[in-house]
Amino acid sequence: MKTWDLIRTANRNLFRNKLRTTLTVLAIFVGSFTLTMTNGVGDGMRDYVESQIKNIEGDRVAMVRKKIETPNGPSSGAAVEYKEGSDESDETAIDPNTVLLTQPQIESVVRDIPGIIGVTPRYSIRGEHISVEGSKKYKVELGMLSDGLVAKTETGKSIGGPNQIVLQIGLARALDEKIENLVGKTATVGYKIPDGSIKTVDLTVTGVMTKGFMTNNNSFVSSDVAKRMFEDQSVQAGPNRFLGFTIQMDSSDPTKIEAIKKRLDEKGFEAETVADTQQRTYDAIGIFKTGMNLFAMVALLAASFGIINTLVIAVLERTKEIGLQKALGMGRGKIFAIFSLESVLIGFWGAFLGAVGAIVTGLVANQIFVKFYARSFEGFSLFAFKPISITAIMLLVCGIAFVAGVMPALRASQLNPIESLRYE
Amino acid sequence: MLEAQSLSKTYKSDGVDYEALKDVDLSVRRGECIAIVGKSGSGKSTLMHLLACLDAPTNGSVLIDGRDTSAFSERAKNSLRNEKFGFVFQQFFLNGRDTVFENVVLPMRIRGASNAEIKTETNAALTAVGLDDKINKKAKDLSGGEKQRVCIARALVGKPEVIFADEPTGNLDSNTGAAVEELLFDLNHEQGITLVVVTHDADLAGRCDRVIEMKDGRIVADLLKEVTAQ
Ligand SMILES: Nc1ncnc2c1ncn2[C@@H]1O[C@H](COP(=O)(O)OP(=O)(O)OP(=O)(O)O)[C@@H](O)[C@H]1O
Ligand SMILES: [Mg+2]
Repeated sequence: MKTWDLIRTANRNLFRNKLRTTLTVLAIFVGSFTLTMTNGVGDGMRDYVESQIKNIEGDRVAMVRKKIETPNGPSSGAAVEYKEGSDESDETAIDPNTVLLTQPQIESVVRDIPGIIGVTPRYSIRGEHISVEGSKKYKVELGMLSDGLVAKTETGKSIGGPNQIVLQIGLARALDEKIENLVGKTATVGYKIPDGSIKTVDLTVTGVMTKGFMTNNNSFVSSDVAKRMFEDQSVQAGPNRFLGFTIQMDSSDPTKIEAIKKRLDEKGFEAETVADTQQRTYDAIGIFKTGMNLFAMVALLAASFGIINTLVIAVLERTKEIGLQKALGMGRGKIFAIFSLESVLIGFWGAFLGAVGAIVTGLVANQIFVKFYARSFEGFSLFAFKPISITAIMLLVCGIAFVAGVMPALRASQLNPIESLRYE
Repeated sequence: MLEAQSLSKTYKSDGVDYEALKDVDLSVRRGECIAIVGKSGSGKSTLMHLLACLDAPTNGSVLIDGRDTSAFSERAKNSLRNEKFGFVFQQFFLNGRDTVFENVVLPMRIRGASNAEIKTETNAALTAVGLDDKINKKAKDLSGGEKQRVCIARALVGKPEVIFADEPTGNLDSNTGAAVEELLFDLNHEQGITLVVVTHDADLAGRCDRVIEMKDGRIVADLLKEVTAQ
């Protein structure tokens, strides 16, 4: 038999029992629909998060902090033993009981690690208000952009030198409808100092940042500005202590970065690059997506038993027909092929209709979502359907259907023609 | 062209052996019309199935044109049945929901024949059985006699060398039975197709060149027509 004849025969056999075929296809439809939807949510989320976490770049920078020693996990509530610090007179000796570090301690940590060319302590700063060349004053949240990090901008550039600020987009829009106009202007930033008064500093606006998770609602200043503000705002007695620091490295080569991370690890510090942070987010989404898809796979698994059932019944029903075909010289392979094709066709139609149904539903849901939540989640589509994912799902479902069809198809192909013709 | 050498067949069912065919020797010549008669359960269908390579003998061998079929591969036996043999079974085995054309065309499709070939062959076969006007009718809408003629057309369609017919007139009334009979003999006379017919019908058997009588799995009589005519 020619391939085309096999497909036609399989198709005709399916049409002979429309109700049964429809019900089986329906079960696959449900599985495929669910899988397309869960996968679409995962992809939608990934796309959104991707656009959000890509707004800070920097492949030669890592954030470093001291590892926290909690032997029973962070929230176990178990008591932690107090460790006697070593020589108090040595200012570079690290206190084992706190994660806070002084500038000399930070410098001593990185001093003997090759490949680290700079270090910036994490200056935490609070801004009060901002105005641009006599405009109204707005509240401002400030952050420091460590040297080596680049903020993605809607207009203008990221920070590239001292006394600069890059603005958060919402704030920028309030300051000037046409955000391009802000670039190059002077912003006056006010911040509170410990005596309660407000000090101001004039900074050059280099650009307006793209929205994203990594930056919260911060506007960013260069590290020199952050250092000054931090020192003005500090209320601590004795040397300033920091939660962590940023290192600048001489290379973006992953193996070199790994080596630096390993050295830091040996000293009790953990370092995370921008890529690591992004990867962590992708991993979390990946786990979420896998979890959701597993539910859909359960539905598909159930549906595949439907296929097995349908085909086993079909083999029984068509025993005489199979006997005749074999008597007239049809080989086992062809009989197997006909039944396999039937199950793959059921899988295909279920997968196809399920995908189409899911895409239509998803696009409608996206429209509704945009109407209600567009402002808080700019650029977010609830569902994203990618041709490659849809193709993969269709292939997967057809594959599952094929596997489900193997047992009945084998049974059919192994029937003895004489026995089958005698079958009542 | 067909030769059985000390054929025997033992069926095993529920652990009990049943010897349906015992040491049968038979030789069928090309163009011959041979009837196999005998009581129910005497092994007629069993013999026919073995001759047609539908089943494997327990002992002995079947030779086709002098070649031992026990050495044939599954594939070789399949194409042998598909290309050289035609079958008319005791039951119709038609697909009621398909058209007459689709039913008749089955052996050609299995063979993988071209569409043009399929068309001419099928038309010729249906014309031969006088059903060319019913070609697009559903098989279930035919009368019993018409159904059996469709079966004969299906047996005929690939230009076989031998037609095996198991009780071809078994479930037809005498008039339609006679018409089907006529058809088979015409094929034998005009196209030289070898005919192996299993039958209960004495009249049908009597019109064959040669009658073989079976009893308890053995051939008890082998009569050539010249002999019966004397
Ligand atoms: N698959 C089988 N399993 C067990 N016994 C079988 C099988 N096929 C046939 N037999 C037995 O073998 C014997 C011969 O069967 P066969 O079908 O050849 O008889 P027959 O001469 O064609 O009879 P009928 O005229 O009723 O068709 C019978 O007794 C039957 O019960
Ligand atoms: Mg019989």
